[in-house]
Amino acid sequence: MSRLEAKKPSFCKSEPLTSERVRATLCVLKGILTSSYGPSGRLKQLHNGLGGCVCTTSQSSALLTNLSVTHPILKILTTSMQNHVSCFSDCGLFTAILCCNLIENVQRIGLMPTTVIKLNKHLLSLCTSYLQSEFCACRILVDFSSTQTLLCLVRSIVTSKPACMLTRQEIDHISALILRAFLLTIPENTKDCLILGKSIIVPLKGQRVTDSTVLPGILLEISEVQLMKILPIKKSDTFKVALFCASLSGDLSDTGEGTVVVSSGVSLENAVLDQLLNLGRQLVSDHIDLVICQKVVHPSLKQFLSMHRMIAIDRVGAALMEPLSKVTGTQPIGSLGSISPSSYGSVKDLCTEKFGFKHFLHLIPNEATICSLLLCNRNDTAWDELKLTCQTALHVLQLTIKEPSVLLGGGCTETHLAAYIRHKICNEPESILQDDGCTQTELQLLTEAFCSALESVAGSLEHDGGEILTDMKYGHFWSAQPESPSVVDWPDLLSRCGCGLYTSQEELRWSFLKSTRHPFAPQTCLPHEAVGSANNLTLDCFTAKLSGLQVAVETANLILDLSYIIEDKN
Amino acid sequence: MVMACRVINKRRHVGLQQLSSFSGTGRTFLGPVKSSKFIVDEERHESILISSVVRLLESLDLTSAVGQLLNEAVQTQNNTYKTGTSTLLFLVGAWSSAAEECLHLGVPISLIVSVMSEGLNSCIEEVVSLQVPIHNIFDHIDSTKTFSGLETCGVSLCPFLQIPSDTGLQKAHDLKDVASPSLTVYNLSGIPVRSPKLFRPQAEDEANKNTLQNPQTLKKSLLADSRCRKSILIHSRHFNRTDSNRWINKPEGFLEQHGAATPHTYRCNDLVELEMGLSHGDHNSMKLVDAAVRLQFQNASTQQGNCTIPFMFDISRIFTCCLPGVPETFSCVCPGYITVVSISNTTLIKELQNQPVQIILIEGDLTENYRHLGFNKAANINTLLESMKVQQDSSEEQWTDYVLQVLIKFNVNLVLVQGNVSEDLIEKCMHSKRLVIGSVNSSVMQAFAEASGAVQVAYITQVNENCVGSGVCVTFWRSIPSDVIDRINILTILIKTEGINLVTVVLTSPLPAQMQAREDRFWTCAYRLYYALREQKVFLGGGAVEFLCLSHLQILAEQSLSKRNHVCSGWLHNTSSWLASSLALYRSTVLKCLANGWHKYLSALMYNTANCSSELGASTVIQQHLQSATDSGSPSSYILNEYSKLNSGIFNSGISNKLEQIPSVYDIVTPKTEAWRRALDLVLLVLQTDSEIITGLGHTQINSQETEGFLFL
Repeated sequence: MSRLEAKKPSFCKSEPLTSERVRATLCVLKGILTSSYGPSGRLKQLHNGLGGCVCTTSQSSALLTNLSVTHPILKILTTSMQNHVSCFSDCGLFTAILCCNLIENVQRIGLMPTTVIKLNKHLLSLCTSYLQSEFCACRILVDFSSTQTLLCLVRSIVTSKPACMLTRQEIDHISALILRAFLLTIPENTKDCLILGKSIIVPLKGQRVTDSTVLPGILLEISEVQLMKILPIKKSDTFKVALFCASLSGDLSDTGEGTVVVSSGVSLENAVLDQLLNLGRQLVSDHIDLVICQKVVHPSLKQFLSMHRMIAIDRVGAALMEPLSKVTGTQPIGSLGSISPSSYGSVKDLCTEKFGFKHFLHLIPNEATICSLLLCNRNDTAWDELKLTCQTALHVLQLTIKEPSVLLGGGCTETHLAAYIRHKICNEPESILQDDGCTQTELQLLTEAFCSALESVAGSLEHDGGEILTDMKYGHFWSAQPESPSVVDWPDLLSRCGCGLYTSQEELRWSFLKSTRHPFAPQTCLPHEAVGSANNLTLDCFTAKLSGLQVAVETANLILDLSYIIEDKN
Repeated sequence: MVMACRVINKRRHVGLQQLSSFSGTGRTFLGPVKSSKFIVDEERHESILISSVVRLLESLDLTSAVGQLLNEAVQTQNNTYKTGTSTLLFLVGAWSSAAEECLHLGVPISLIVSVMSEGLNSCIEEVVSLQVPIHNIFDHIDSTKTFSGLETCGVSLCPFLQIPSDTGLQKAHDLKDVASPSLTVYNLSGIPVRSPKLFRPQAEDEANKNTLQNPQTLKKSLLADSRCRKSILIHSRHFNRTDSNRWINKPEGFLEQHGAATPHTYRCNDLVELEMGLSHGDHNSMKLVDAAVRLQFQNASTQQGNCTIPFMFDISRIFTCCLPGVPETFSCVCPGYITVVSISNTTLIKELQNQPVQIILIEGDLTENYRHLGFNKAANINTLLESMKVQQDSSEEQWTDYVLQVLIKFNVNLVLVQGNVSEDLIEKCMHSKRLVIGSVNSSVMQAFAEASGAVQVAYITQVNENCVGSGVCVTFWRSIPSDVIDRINILTILIKTEGINLVTVVLTSPLPAQMQAREDRFWTCAYRLYYALREQKVFLGGGAVEFLCLSHLQILAEQSLSKRNHVCSGWLHNTSSWLASSLALYRSTVLKCLANGWHKYLSALMYNTANCSSELGASTVIQQHLQSATDSGSPSSYILNEYSKLNSGIFNSGISNKLEQIPSVYDIVTPKTEAWRRALDLVLLVLQTDSEIITGLGHTQINSQETEGFLFL
């Protein structure tokens, strides 16, 4: 007998953004995100309250994957941020904070959503075209002849993740390692297109950060018992490798549904083992030196291989299969039947190494674009954070190779961009007004909302109550002590701007970021010599930030445009 | 799914307070005199006796996020170094109070983080001057002088801070007689070279000079040299002593000299002295460790003959066998593998002894159903029985018979199994005079594999001639009188083979409740010695290192007060922030708070070792010392001088006037500094955390009284 239940009516709510609850939750989310932003951002402990592992983090990728939000509006926001982070790794918090700021500011001025959306789009295109233009003063072209810019970029990323718990020396060490790991993934000889290799992060928890290192090739972890069984590796020019993705454990792979009936005296296990040993014989006759298996190898087969002076390594896991196949030039073998000789590959050298308490078999390939980054940190939660940071930095370096520019970091790009937009709208509003048919007041209100949203992102870098200033020449970001008197000798109080490009000794004029000031034209066109001389700049990934800007404005537009939420309650 | 978020850092930092209170529970475990604790489970009416931080945390409810982080930090320290956990726990508490204090004083969090972290870095660099090098300790190991022989000579548990300082005496103290004959030789590569003046012919001296350029040959010559010396001096403790006084190892970084005073130069060339210093009062355990090391050393020497590979203490080849219910005095050390078997094996052992037997080693379980890891048994296979034939044996019996056949075929009388063994099989093997032992430790298996030539296999079907090891003896182990051992109704046997690199330490305790603590204490001592030998250096212990940290930080704090304008912007990651320029303003405050942590540590240490009747009294003594250290101008040389003076002050009552005769207290280097770092990292991690986000919870799951302060998304 089946039971029918009447369908519940759908739940429809108009003007969702005006609801108090939505505003409150949006405010909490914004609070979480802004308080995590930047090198002195506060950390969050994420856990399930039931004794699960505790993740201490301030990174958007870790925060967003763990935040489980219920309200549809927040879902839109977090999903689009996650989407951005999965494509670009960096600038997740920037995007999310900017989006929240935009929503908040626009709500305050109370314009029609259609007008807001149109104008936001205009302002966004002004921003993107400026950032991509030649006279943009917050973009630096990367000079690949020296590592300085790239190292600054990596160091800025590592510095902005306080939960890694690194000291200054450790930051330098890790940054250099990341850059070296990245450089090892670039092939030496390229023809038309560049295919980057991969850096594999090998965990070594509990050791000192400075024990971290980078090695070309692949490290396979082996147990001490396994190590003892490996005979002294004979010297040879190359080692022939067979790579299996099929399990060699000797179980019956897939017996399907139903039952299999065998007569007594027949042992299926033995039959499979015989098949495995046949495979072993073929490997012997093909003069294989090293057998690697993603899954388990039957002990008897291991014994057989070892008797024929072969090294067998099993349980390397799925993650290593692709790099292994790339490094050795093998085709992963998926069946126990006969093997085509073309699926074998080779490595140049093999050796065993010990790091901390772990033993590894080190595969040194002929042509290396794969390297292993052996990463150490004192405790688990800091290690996890450091691993995410390294992945982000490696990804950012890849993006930078594609688009060889970087943006000034430390809040300078945001304040400079805001100053540029304000000035542009103040001086040449005609183009937008003609297109959209909105009034001058509306345009000014929205421009102010947009620019202050950008500036508040920069302001979120400050967590200890300090004042934020901007100079009237470059429009850069400057930080000062809390409760600074308004008339002081600024050059003595300030040292360098947020990105580190300018010092306070340049006869600049400053004003508080929050105060109203007349639009000024920030100096465009970055002088080349200024960049060359400055070291230790704080830099941001160009591609990630540009995309973050676009995603933030578009998501804000989408959320502002919502007039109904219809929920199916069934 | 609903997520809750709680701000934990409003006025008072909840996380730091939690850390302080967790840390308070382990206070009595600090230092060499540890008071035990009873942990009582009221629901199950069980209680256990604990005396270490690791065991304490195992029994505490640490489900809160901060508690879990703390547990994680302690576990990692324990898994990596097996020591330093009580230091870690105490400092977590001391420094979380320090961080809280800074918060109260209005220091920005980022500044607390960078100043504390750089301050500790600076301490770690500073204490390098209290490192004592250990060199080639096994070159002149003296077989007549063992740890047990020295036991009568007392050891100060906390020598550095033992008696209140007396400034008058201090200045009058004359160091010349010790310092002047020291002679230091450097070679180019920075390896310290000893210059044994007394017992070397001139010619050899010349030869040595020529080889100085080459570290390789140098090493050889040193080894040759030490062997020759050993043969001369082996029976004379005093000559050996005088001899070693002439060598002062002073590689760069060790025992740095400061302008004004000439500090003592410490070195440790004697195993017993080192062990005494590292025992931290637990002589019973260290005695066993000493015996184990000597057995390993002897074994290595006989195995290698004239080979010149330096001896390394291999802690993985030490195995402990615990016998609860036996008086403590029967603890001992024995080469080979001692284990407990059921009393029913008596006749079997009788037959097996007096003849070498063959052995096989099984990695997994020895049961019919065992399959290697990763093997998935298909569930849907039915075996069709042949129509009328009645099956005579079950498959289990068939398997057992097969195993026996294999054992008979290869003439194997001893099977060591890492996992479980089928009871039936043990029974059958016993009848055919074969001994099967299950649950054998993997390093024991490894040792037998090396010594007997056996190869570990997973299945009995894998056994072939190459896998069988030979020359193994099985005997009764009867060092404990039979009336004692019979009372607890067990049979102890000894399995060994020629040259096996395995030492069993038999640990006994009359109270079964103390057995685990006894074992833990043994391993603590063993690992201390292991790290000391591996790193080839130790710290001067008994609070000296911590005292130097304390005085160093105080001096740094004073300096930053006087040089306010001097901006240490290098101490902050982000130099463009206003924090960099206001660093000088807060630096001395934060450093003082950090130093207070050390002060608390030292007072608790002194109080625990009963050197002082109250923590306040301890605090006063430390304060006095601190003043004298600061006045002397160089705390590290003050400590070096004071250290030896205090030692000699206590111990020079007639035995000898040589300082080296006085046992010092030593501490291990990296595990200690890593424990500091780990403690500070945890505190700073919690300090920087402002909210706790609990995922996947419904509103209802959080207790109603706790709901206050939670925000829901």
